[in-house]
Amino acid sequence: MSAAEKMSRRDEMETLLPFYLNGSLEGSDLEAVEEWLADPAAMTALGEAEAEFSGTSAANEAIRPPADALSRFAKALDAEAGPARKPAGSSWLAQAWGRFLAVPVGVAWAAAAVLLLLIAVQSLVQPGGKGKDFEIAGAQDDLAKMPFALVKFKPDAKMSDISAFLGSNGLKVIGGPTADSVFRIGIPAANAADYAKQLSLIAAQPFADTVIEGRKPVDGG
Amino acid sequence: MTAATETDRALVDRVAKGDRAAVRLLFMRHHARVYRFVARQTGSEMMADDIANEVFLELWRQAPGFEGRSEVSTWLLGIARFKALSLLRKKKEDWIDDEAAAAVPDSADTPEVVTMKEDKAAALRRFIDALPEEHRTVIDLAYYHGQSVTEIGEVLAIPVATVKTRMFYARKKLGDALKAAGYDRGWP
Repeated sequence: MSAAEKMSRRDEMETLLPFYLNGSLEGSDLEAVEEWLADPAAMTALGEAEAEFSGTSAANEAIRPPADALSRFAKALDAEAGPARKPAGSSWLAQAWGRFLAVPVGVAWAAAAVLLLLIAVQSLVQPGGKGKDFEIAGAQDDLAKMPFALVKFKPDAKMSDISAFLGSNGLKVIGGPTADSVFRIGIPAANAADYAKQLSLIAAQPFADTVIEGRKPVDGG
Repeated sequence: MTAATETDRALVDRVAKGDRAAVRLLFMRHHARVYRFVARQTGSEMMADDIANEVFLELWRQAPGFEGRSEVSTWLLGIARFKALSLLRKKKEDWIDDEAAAAVPDSADTPEVVTMKEDKAAALRRFIDALPEEHRTVIDLAYYHGQSVTEIGEVLAIPVATVKTRMFYARKKLGDALKAAGYDRGWP
């Protein structure tokens, strides 16, 4: 292989490195890069690409979307689509949540306990019983069986903060918002202890307004 | 395909049926990235705010026609790109941010001077910001948005070979700028 050909191969590998790092490379391109990286000299190139990766992420994350973007979008959507209908099948849970939010703070957690009891009863009396759970706003997806918590964020919370927090802790928005802006946050906890830890973490965030336990992991008794 | 992307598609199906909660959920998931993508392209956060909002209204309008041939995130970025281009053309603004381009160190700055001013990571970030828009965009889409070569081609409506060429020159320019600033780099 000539020097020119070697350079050409290196150029090609350097071009593919960003895609190797973001995990989108596959097939023969992936094999070629992995084979090339087996050469210790190529590891320097990987380090350079990783530095670019960090620099690009930092440059993007430095841009903060406005905190009120969602509320302004919701207004624009209403203007486009007309007045919002009452959510189809406005669930007993949404109604209970509304009542919960209306009570004074001093008794709110007592109400939360009642709400939890209602959730437990609901799951027991569902036809087919075991494992059947309630749904919010018709949410039906592959994450439906995931442990979750019900979370309401503060009105002035920044979406970028919420997204960053959820992303860095492996949490996902899997449902909502209800009419009362309650989100169902999926919690990838393997057991009840993990679940409780994650719940405390969410509650400790400055942007979290109210956090209520939803479904716990199977051993969560 | 991950569970998350399947869920995005399921949400688009719900949007197609008129479910506003689903479009708000997609907004929560993707708005920040769409906003940043447009802000980086246009250099204007005000423009990014308007266009990002428009992108999700477009999602509301076009959801019934979404065929799922690409990931939802790729589709949204494609819409954002089109809207940003249209607006910029309308305003007859230059693609390249002259101010940012001027920030690339010229021959008047010796490597020692530049090195004193900033460490390598800060310099690299500045050079990324100063890349011409067409090069910075492929860097952003690959490193920040996690897009594949094919997906970047879809977002920018350019052939895969062009994506690779732009990536090659983007990385080469970064290497040249680092070298000029006195940082050792194995390539180019």
